[in-house]
Amino acid sequence: MPTSRSTRIVLYVYGILVIAFLYLPLVSVSFASVSKARYLSFPIRRYSTKWYGEALKSSTVSELVSTSLTIAVLVTVISVVIAFFGALAFARYDWRHRTLFQKFILLPIFFPQTVLGLALLMWFNSLGIIPSWKTAVVAHLVWIAPIATLIVAIRAYSFDPALEEAARDMGAGTLSILREITLPLLAPGLVSAGLFAFLLSWGNFPLSLFTTGADSTLPEWLYAKMVSGYSPLVPTLGVMSVVGSFLLIFTALALAWLVRANREARAAQQ
Amino acid sequence: MDSTALLRLRGIVKKFGSFTALNGIDLEIREGEFFTIVGPSGSGKSTLIRLLVGMDDLTEGTIWLRGERIDQTPANLRPTCMVFQSLALFPHMNVGQNIEFPLKLRKVAPQRRRERVNELLDLLRLPRSYYDKRIAQCSGGERQRVALARALAFDPEILFFDEPLSALDYRLRKTLEKELKDLHARTGKTFVYITHSLEEAMVMSDRIAIMREGRFEQIAVADEIYNRPVSRFVAEFMGEVNLFEIRADAGGTLSGKALEIAPDARLDALAPGTEALLMVRPEYLRFDGPGERFEFALSGTLHGEYALGSRIQYEIETETGMVTVEKLREDRVRLKEGQPVRVGFDAADTHVIAEPA
Repeated sequence: MPTSRSTRIVLYVYGILVIAFLYLPLVSVSFASVSKARYLSFPIRRYSTKWYGEALKSSTVSELVSTSLTIAVLVTVISVVIAFFGALAFARYDWRHRTLFQKFILLPIFFPQTVLGLALLMWFNSLGIIPSWKTAVVAHLVWIAPIATLIVAIRAYSFDPALEEAARDMGAGTLSILREITLPLLAPGLVSAGLFAFLLSWGNFPLSLFTTGADSTLPEWLYAKMVSGYSPLVPTLGVMSVVGSFLLIFTALALAWLVRANREARAAQQ
Repeated sequence: MDSTALLRLRGIVKKFGSFTALNGIDLEIREGEFFTIVGPSGSGKSTLIRLLVGMDDLTEGTIWLRGERIDQTPANLRPTCMVFQSLALFPHMNVGQNIEFPLKLRKVAPQRRRERVNELLDLLRLPRSYYDKRIAQCSGGERQRVALARALAFDPEILFFDEPLSALDYRLRKTLEKELKDLHARTGKTFVYITHSLEEAMVMSDRIAIMREGRFEQIAVADEIYNRPVSRFVAEFMGEVNLFEIRADAGGTLSGKALEIAPDARLDALAPGTEALLMVRPEYLRFDGPGERFEFALSGTLHGEYALGSRIQYEIETETGMVTVEKLREDRVRLKEGQPVRVGFDAADTHVIAEPA
């Protein structure tokens, strides 16, 4: 159906408003990050990249980044592994309590994260485990692994079970089927699940707040500095964190585009 | 028992909970045969083929291949291969990788694999340059050929087909049916094919088994099934057919509802004192005309006339129900709807089905 002129105008205006609402706050933070002033104030009088230099030199910052990164990387790897097997149980195999499993595995996604964080903290305490970045990994996993599972399950639903049967019929054992058929077919789902897991863990505040103990992640530190003892590094680190996330997403998109272009180029050669 | 049987099934039973999908199947398939199992959906034909390739476990019975029992052998160790209804081509591999997949599993050297793929592409009349083509870029007919090539690369003792042509349009299906028959002749392999289309089965098969509710109703060559069905089910499954109730009294005199029967008409297949169904295919019915004499005749009115390409079909309303007559287009008879007509046939045109109406 061709869209009329007035519909198009409404759609454009709507689109611009949505983008403005979503991104204007980020833009103002990035302005704040290049202000020379020690405290957050608008309008900005003098611009400077001084705080970026400070951030890169600061040992606090590198410690924060390394804690956040360690947690995010571990969460990513573990959730992708859990998601792979979880998605097969979720979508590929028919078994007796599958629908119950499907409901239970999705439930943690809808828990309020603060409640989940608090509950886990109490649980760690009663088990005598001292909270640290390691317990935060566990906490993140409780929330993120189900999301990753769901993402891989969507991919698993879309592939024909006859493919695995055909491979078996032609002589492939369980391991060969996994390596030659199941893994390659689920690969796009695993990559997006990994990306989601990393970004959700990297930016997570409520779960980390309760479960990192003496360690601190980047979002926790940003919050703490806003509440008391403001540091001019807050907007700087905020922007660096967002830019890092965007870079990751764009890298993934670029890779997907490259793979597709390469495939089409090979097909065009014939 | 046929000693030359390649595949032999004895007393196959398959139950899903309380539902019996296969109810005592006995079958022998000969080496090099094109054997087709036909049945409506839900008759158990797909269940049977899944048991034969090892995709499902049977509840009772035994399967022998060349005298070796295989019913407990897992699918990946059976020397059989199936072309799936969905074809199950691997979307992440190109045409060549799909075809050589079974060879790769057997660790055949890449050089030799490539040669074999080329041979198979030639055999299936696909250009060798298709090796690098992606499955998504292949047409329906090409995918069919790739699936066949892959199954042949496996070099199975028996090649099974699970309705692989059902998703294709009519013309392509007709072409591929003939190609498949031709391929069977050229490779000399044993093909076991399942379909719900008897027409498809007739074109390709050496022998046909008609399946109904988990049992075989009749196993025979195509002509026999068409001309001498054992039951109403088989006769009706085989396309348009006219069935009349017929009775012979103790003296052998015939009578049937709405039928005018000549006094000298005889049906040798009908024992005195019994009832049966008299089958006449529509093409054997003749319209009354000057000098025409029938052993069996019916009167009624013309209900409608339908053009079926090379043939014309007439439906005639009679006292015993709708009767179908078919003529070649060149033998078309000009009739008006509602016009009274008389049609007839002779004993030689009929087949007696010993099944009381």
